Amino acid sequence: MAVTIAKERWSSKCLEVVLGSGLKQIKIGGETTLPFLHFEGEMPNVPAVALEVFDAPPVEWPDFLSSAFEGVLGDPAAWAKKCVEYGADLVVLHLNRTHPDQGDASPEEAAEVASAVAAAVDTPLVVLGCGVDEKDAAVLPEVANALAGKNCLLGCATQDNYKSIVAGCIAGGHAVIASSPLDINLAKQLNILITEMNLEPQKIVMDPSIGGLGYGIEYAYSIIERMRTGALMGDKMLAMPVVLLVGSEAWKTKEAKTPDTPDWGEQKKRALLWEVTTAVSLLHAGGHIAVVRHPESLRRVKEHVSRMMQPQTY
Amino acid sequence: MPKTKVVFLPDDVKVKVSRGQTILQAAAKAGIMLRGACGGGGSCGRCRVQLRKGGLSSAGTGKLPPEESEKGWVLACRSIPEGEVEVFIPETSRLVEHRVLLDERQSGLLAATAEDFADTAPLFRRQVVKLAAPTLADNRDDGGRLLWALEHEYGIVNTRFSRQVLADLPRTLRESNWQVAVELAAVDGFFEIQGVKPTTGKDPVFGLAVDIGTTTAAVELVDLETGEVVGTAGTYNRQAAYGDDVITRIIYAAEMPGGRAKLQEAVRETINGLITDLINARQIDRNDIRAVVCAGNTTMVHLFQGLDPTFIRLEPYVPSVNAPPPVRAAELGLEVNPTAWVYCLPGVASYVGGDITGGVWVTRLSATEELSLFLDIGTNGEIVLGNKEWLMACACSAGPAFEGSGVSCGMRAVPGAIEAIRVVDGGFEVIYNTIENKSPTGICGSGFIDLLSSLFKAGVIDRSGRFVQGLQTPRVRGGEEGNEFVVAWAGETGNGADITVTQADLQNLLRAKAAVFAGVRTLLASLGLELGAVQKVFIAGGFGRFINARDAIMIGMLPDVPLERYKYVGNSALKAARLGLLSQKAWEEMKKIAGRITNVELSVGNKFMEEFVSALFLPHTDVTLFSSLQKG
Repeated sequence: MAVTIAKERWSSKCLEVVLGSGLKQIKIGGETTLPFLHFEGEMPNVPAVALEVFDAPPVEWPDFLSSAFEGVLGDPAAWAKKCVEYGADLVVLHLNRTHPDQGDASPEEAAEVASAVAAAVDTPLVVLGCGVDEKDAAVLPEVANALAGKNCLLGCATQDNYKSIVAGCIAGGHAVIASSPLDINLAKQLNILITEMNLEPQKIVMDPSIGGLGYGIEYAYSIIERMRTGALMGDKMLAMPVVLLVGSEAWKTKEAKTPDTPDWGEQKKRALLWEVTTAVSLLHAGGHIAVVRHPESLRRVKEHVSRMMQPQTY
Repeated sequence: MPKTKVVFLPDDVKVKVSRGQTILQAAAKAGIMLRGACGGGGSCGRCRVQLRKGGLSSAGTGKLPPEESEKGWVLACRSIPEGEVEVFIPETSRLVEHRVLLDERQSGLLAATAEDFADTAPLFRRQVVKLAAPTLADNRDDGGRLLWALEHEYGIVNTRFSRQVLADLPRTLRESNWQVAVELAAVDGFFEIQGVKPTTGKDPVFGLAVDIGTTTAAVELVDLETGEVVGTAGTYNRQAAYGDDVITRIIYAAEMPGGRAKLQEAVRETINGLITDLINARQIDRNDIRAVVCAGNTTMVHLFQGLDPTFIRLEPYVPSVNAPPPVRAAELGLEVNPTAWVYCLPGVASYVGGDITGGVWVTRLSATEELSLFLDIGTNGEIVLGNKEWLMACACSAGPAFEGSGVSCGMRAVPGAIEAIRVVDGGFEVIYNTIENKSPTGICGSGFIDLLSSLFKAGVIDRSGRFVQGLQTPRVRGGEEGNEFVVAWAGETGNGADITVTQADLQNLLRAKAAVFAGVRTLLASLGLELGAVQKVFIAGGFGRFINARDAIMIGMLPDVPLERYKYVGNSALKAARLGLLSQKAWEEMKKIAGRITNVELSVGNKFMEEFVSALFLPHTDVTLFSSLQKG
């Protein structure tokens, strides 16, 4: 018996955002349907997977994670190159040293590090502040200026500090990550506020604040899903692509941090599964960039994505 | 001093002014700011208004061309009304753009209600009774004779004596030659004879209407024989010392040793203070206050009567009683006649109290054909939706901001309160208007609505209510608690201090307006209705003398429906208490209404929280809900 495939008709689509400037420039977003439903609509761009770089050598990383970046952990530029070698579509630079409690590096120092990393790789660059609103408001405009013209993605802008960060992005020609605390309305409000500063909507990527597997991932899933359906139903202020900061969430879980035990088995296997499952789940919810930490996670997520990008036979 | 009425068009705002006051002064009283560079000297010619009805005496036409004078144009500052007048104010004469003001309607609907019931029985009244003197053939007892006469001659059934009255009854009856004034108090289901007096030299009888709000309390002293309000007074509820909202107070009452008694004492002293103010001002005897009707939310009524409020706060949110029985004033410690009965308007549920029942009755919402909405915006925002067929209600916590509490420069709507504000683009200049044109000492609810709206329009705050950085105006400055905006400089104010609004205040106001709007949306959504379905909106609350509906829509507090659907009814709880005092019939109707209202619990499900967060924005995260604002 013939089966009729039910197809949803959507009136609108996700915004397409271009990141980077060189040959390795990438596009994300632009879908006219829910993730991977190729039979129903267009999914013109492959979800991107990024690897992380830190401006200070990591502490308390398990060996199997730091060994993947052996020899480059003290040099962000070299680290970034290593990420590209591993196949990262983007490099995400964390400016942890600017945190008032972790060195309180000046905006100028941060800009230097960012420039060095940008010079080392030709993939698009994402630069993340330390997460302290006021400090990020001072650091990111400086970074934006140093990287002017490179069309980077800078974040995270929150409702409390978006003004100076967005102003920096406008001046330097960058895109911004608009970060909201797991709330669809707050996400939308921030997008409205940012666009009212005259940053084009296709220069915004949303960070809905995710939780790792077992740590509230279902909340993130449902917010991202609502962002996507909102976009497809014509809500222009929810149509921006979504970035998933998976690495920071996955590697702080108990499951990723607990060493090998008889009950829980091998730590490496467990930690990687945790990171991959978190990333993959949220890509299926509607994420566009998955930021992971371990190169093996990158490989597995990319493999999954490439399989999901196969056209469906019906 | 004789008063005369002035009606301002197109706002349709009415004010009463003393004879001899100019149209300019009357306009100020109505909250309409007119242009006048010369300061009322008649020389600048900017305060042009047109007389539409009635007569004016004019001290010169100033710069007005004769053809304009012929068409009724006059200078407001030079014109004094002769009797009742209607005056049209063109846009060009206004200091600020046209605002649709909803004044507290004393006339029309509400006043008519009072008259309707003027001849019906108040809860306490005197009935002159003529008795046949006993004879050998008719030797019934004195008491029985009186009850029989009341029932058969005056139709007053189910009457009871108090022992005190009986003690002196025989002598009173005979000394007054069998014609006496019987003092009757209507208690739940029976009449109590509180006194039998000679008909000569009678004392006045007063009743007291009380609105016990979470943040503020107001009383009206009513002459029970004429129905006239002889005095009003208001103040903050002294319970505020134990917490801003009902929840904190319930916790205090339930968990602190002696907490319930302290809260009861606080509200009792609040009301007693107001009573003392009134009787001193009017030179009356407190023993002449013979009945008290209180309107309040369920928690306030519990605390006033000393009932245990613990379970109001706990799921499934059940109060001890919705319609508490009348209690003697002496038992509650109210300083009125100790035998007076104290009545509380019947409530609906833990968070929809008798004040709301009263509001529904006063606005006649329960009798309308059209789908109507009633909003009582106080510390708790209560919302009733319905018509003569059905009534649904819900409550949300709005906080005390619009009552002038919980914000740094907030105050009640009393003389000196800034009630209207305009901020010039960029925030350089502020134009404001105070109640009675006194030097400003704070901002009341209607002022805050204006302020939020015009700070946004002037580009001083963004849609999330945060100050825009980098403005050049000296009015935005860093304060102890972050940035603040100076509404009035110390030199202009009545207390020698700057009047400011802080970032925290703005967030408080935003939350208050969001709670109101979210409540409306959630209630409508529970019935599958859209905002546009609402045909009439009654706004009650302690904002001030009027609210600017356009601004209230602009900030997303009130739904974006045509302005003519709005009516501001002011303190409807107090009006209901007064009318309940004057009319047993009103009382019966309110009981029926309380039984008809279905309560919707907003805390069930997360629809309300979603709506709330999306309303924490100017005007709203979903701008399509405020389409009239986009048209400019």
